[in-house]
Amino acid sequence: MPPKAAKGEYIETDTGNKISRRSNIHGTQHIILGGKTVIQTDAVIRGDLYRLPGAHPSSSSSTTGDSGEPTPAPAPAAPNTPSVAVSIGRYSYVSKQAVLRPPSRLHRGVHSFYPLKIGDHVFIGERAVVEAASVGNHVHIGCDAVVGSMAILKDFAYVLDGAVIPPGMVVPSWCVVGGAPARIVGEVGEGYGVEGAEGGLARERYRLVGR
Amino acid sequence: MSRPFPYTYISCPCVERPVSDPSRKKETSPRKGSSQPAPEINDNDDEEEEKDFDPRSPRANFSLYPPEQLLYCEDCHQIKCPRCITEEIVCWYCPSCLFETPSSMVRSEGNRCARNCFSCPICTAPLAVSTLENVSGSGSQQGPWVLSCGYCMWTTLDIGIKFDKPTNIRNQLSKMTESSRGRQMSRAYGDLKSPLSPLATAYSTVDGPEVPPDDGKPPADEDPAVLGPDARFAALKAFYRNQLSETSASPNDPLGTDFGAGFSSPGALNRIMSLYTSSTLSGLYGGNSKKSKPKPLMMREAQTASEGLKLAASDAEDTIIQRMASDDCGWEGLASSEQRVFQFPEARFVEDLLPLPTLLRTKRSKRCKSCKHILVKPEFKPQSTRFRIRLIALSYIPLTTIRPLAVSPSSGVTSSTTLLAAPTPDLNALQPLQPIQILLTLKNHMFDPVRVTLGTPSVTPGAVATKVTILCPQFDIGANSDVWDEALQASNPADQRSSRSGLTGGYEKVAEAGKVWDKGRNWTTVVLEVVPGLLERKTGTLNTKEKKDEEDAKDARHARDATSDGGWSDSDENETTPPPGHGLGLETQSSPAPAQPDEDVLEIPVFVRMEWDSENQMEQPVAKGKPEMVKRELAYWMVLGVGRIEY
Repeated sequence: MPPKAAKGEYIETDTGNKISRRSNIHGTQHIILGGKTVIQTDAVIRGDLYRLPGAHPSSSSSTTGDSGEPTPAPAPAAPNTPSVAVSIGRYSYVSKQAVLRPPSRLHRGVHSFYPLKIGDHVFIGERAVVEAASVGNHVHIGCDAVVGSMAILKDFAYVLDGAVIPPGMVVPSWCVVGGAPARIVGEVGEGYGVEGAEGGLARERYRLVGR
Repeated sequence: MSRPFPYTYISCPCVERPVSDPSRKKETSPRKGSSQPAPEINDNDDEEEEKDFDPRSPRANFSLYPPEQLLYCEDCHQIKCPRCITEEIVCWYCPSCLFETPSSMVRSEGNRCARNCFSCPICTAPLAVSTLENVSGSGSQQGPWVLSCGYCMWTTLDIGIKFDKPTNIRNQLSKMTESSRGRQMSRAYGDLKSPLSPLATAYSTVDGPEVPPDDGKPPADEDPAVLGPDARFAALKAFYRNQLSETSASPNDPLGTDFGAGFSSPGALNRIMSLYTSSTLSGLYGGNSKKSKPKPLMMREAQTASEGLKLAASDAEDTIIQRMASDDCGWEGLASSEQRVFQFPEARFVEDLLPLPTLLRTKRSKRCKSCKHILVKPEFKPQSTRFRIRLIALSYIPLTTIRPLAVSPSSGVTSSTTLLAAPTPDLNALQPLQPIQILLTLKNHMFDPVRVTLGTPSVTPGAVATKVTILCPQFDIGANSDVWDEALQASNPADQRSSRSGLTGGYEKVAEAGKVWDKGRNWTTVVLEVVPGLLERKTGTLNTKEKKDEEDAKDARHARDATSDGGWSDSDENETTPPPGHGLGLETQSSPAPAQPDEDVLEIPVFVRMEWDSENQMEQPVAKGKPEMVKRELAYWMVLGVGRIEY
C-alpha cells in the first residue's frame, strides 16, 4: 500500500497518541487512551469485550435480592455509563503483536468482562498478552509475557520476558517476577523509574516513534 | 534480566576497597577527594591508569551494577552498591493481599500470611478462594469453598479439603490438617504457632519445669502418632530445653548451657553469671564451689510420644514403596523435590501436599555501612511507592546514555539518501574492523556544573581487541536548573531534537576530535570512535580455567541482575543454557561459535572522573559564616555495553 505508507505509519491523535495504521483495535468506543500512548503494528486491543450493561445488573440484583447481605461485588459499574473495556494512561507503549484483552471471570454463573486499566509509562513488550485487571504506573511487561486474567500489577512492577503470570496474581510494587508460573524473583533498584534511566524511558520512547 | 544493547553498568568503587579493612592506608580508588590538592589527584590518576578496569575479569563482574541500583552517601561522598549498605526491615507485608503484618505477629506466628493467601503446592501460583456452588441465583453463597489454582487447576478437593466459610481459611486449614490426618487436635502449643517463636517457648516452659516426665505422665496414654508435626516440634523443643536446664542445673558449669544459650534466656543468664562466679569467686574462695558441684545429670533423649518421640512403624517404608509402585500413584503421584522442600518432611506423595500460606515480603530501609547514614527510607505503608529518603546515585552521577551514530558512508552517497535512510549500525551484529561512532551523552542531575574527564584504554581488554577513542575526553556539563527552566527550555523542542539526532539542517555533522558533539542545558554529548576487533575463531590460547572463571562471572552477573531474594528459589532462573559450541572443546575448528561465551560482546570500560564545586555542608569543620565552595571529586569506572561483534 504505497499511498498509506506515504501518509506515515502512525496516526497521531489530538492528545498525541501514536497509533499504527496496521494495529487491530476493536470496539474503539470502549477504549480510553490517556494521550501520548503508542500502539504499534499488529497490536490487538479488544475493546469489544466490554461488560454487557444488561448482564451485570441482572446478576447483581439477583444476588442482592437473594442473599440480602452486602456481598462484595467487585466494582459494580453504573449501568447507564458506557462501559469502558480498556483504559490506558499516558506515555504507555504497546509493542508489536501485543494483545490487550479485558479480563473476564465467571461470577455466579455469569461470565462477564471487567475493565482493563493500564497506568502511565507502561511498557508492554512484543507478543505479550495482557489480561490483567489493573496495571499500575511504570510497569514493564517483557516480550512474550502472559499476564493472566484478573491479575494486578502494582506500580513499578517488572515482568521479565516470557513470564507467565497466573490468573489473579498480585505483583507488588518494585518486584521483579519471572518464570512460569511467575514468582517474585527480586526487586528493582531504588533508582528504577527515574526519568531517563531504566524504567523512566517512556517519554524518550514516545519521542522516537514515527520519526 | 540481561539487558539489551546498549547498556551501562557502573562499577562500585568498593571493589578495590575492602570494607572490612578500614585500616588500609593506601587507597587505590580516589574516593573522597573533597579538597584534595591537584598533584594528589594526578597521583591517583596514574595509579588508576596502571590497572585498567577489566569488565571481563571475574572479580570485576561482581562490582558492576546497573546505575539504578546504586545509592549515594552524601557523607562519604561515594557511590554505594548493595554490598556497601545494610538493610533494616521497615514492615512486613503479604505480596498477595498487600496487607501489613505487624512484626510482633511475624515473630509469633511466622512469616506467612495469616489471611486467605495461599500458594499452590504443585506449581506455586497463588490460590483463589472459590465456591463449589456455582449456580446463579439460588445458591445464596453458602456452598462449600475450596482453594483453586488458576495455573495448574489444582484444587484442595484433590486432597479432600473443603472450607465452610470463605474467610479465615488459614485457621480452618490448620484445624483440618491436624484432625483430618487421624491426629487429635494438638494441645495448647500446637495450633500452628511458629515453632521458633518466643511465645511457643513460653508455653512450653509453663507445662514442663518438672523432674523427668517419664514417671510424671503415663508414657503411652495416647496412640503414638498423636502429635502433628508442628506440635511434635514444639514438644521436642520443650523437652530438650528442659533437659538442658536440668543437666546444666549447676550454675558453676560454664559450658553446660552453651548449647542451649540461644533459646533459653534463663540459661543464658545462668551461663553469664556462672562465668563470673566460677572464674572470680571460685578463685577467691578456693574450691568450695567445686565441692558443692553435683554430678551433672546425663542428658537423655525423648522417650514418649508426649515428649515428641515418634517411632517409625516397622513397615512404614514398605508401605511407601508399595504405594509408589502401585498403579494409581505413578510418576505423577510423587511429589517432586521442589514441592517437598516447603512441606512437612514426611510428605512423599502429591496427596500429602498442603497449600502453603504465602510468604511475607519486607520493605527495607538502607544505611551506609561505613557511616551508618540512612540512604533509603521507604514509606511505612506497604502499598506506598514513595520514599521519605532516597539518595540514589542517579541524582549525583551523570546519567549516561549511548546511542550509535548513523553510519556515514565515506563513499559518495548523496545526502538525501543518508537523510532518508541513514542506517544505524545493528548493535547485535557489529562489523569487525569497521569503525562506528557512538554518541555518549552524560546528563547532569546536580545543581552544580560538573567537569568531566573520561578515560578509556585504547584497546579493550579481552581476547577481542577493539580500539576505542574518545574524541573529546574532557568537557563540562551544565547545572541542572529547576523544573521551570526546563519547561521553558522545552518550548523549542524541535531544535533540540534535530541537534540531538545528529542531523542539523541539510548537512551532516562530522565528529571532530577535541570538540563536544552537542551540548544542552545540563547534558553534553561526545563521540566515541570504536573499531570493533576481529573475532578470532577458535584460537586455542585460552585455557579452560580462564574460560570457566569468565563464565561464572557472567552467571553471577545475570543472577544478580535478577536479584534473587525472592521467597522461592527459582531453579529456572539459575539455569543458563550454555552457548552453542561450548564444552565441545576448543579444537573444533569447524564450529563457527566464539571461543568462549560472550566473547563477542563489545564492552568498553570508561573511567569517569567528575569534579565540581559545591557549597560546603554543615558537617565540614570549617567554621566560617558564609557557605564556602568546596571542590568535590568523584571517580568511578563504568562499562558501556555497546553491542555484539559479528563473526
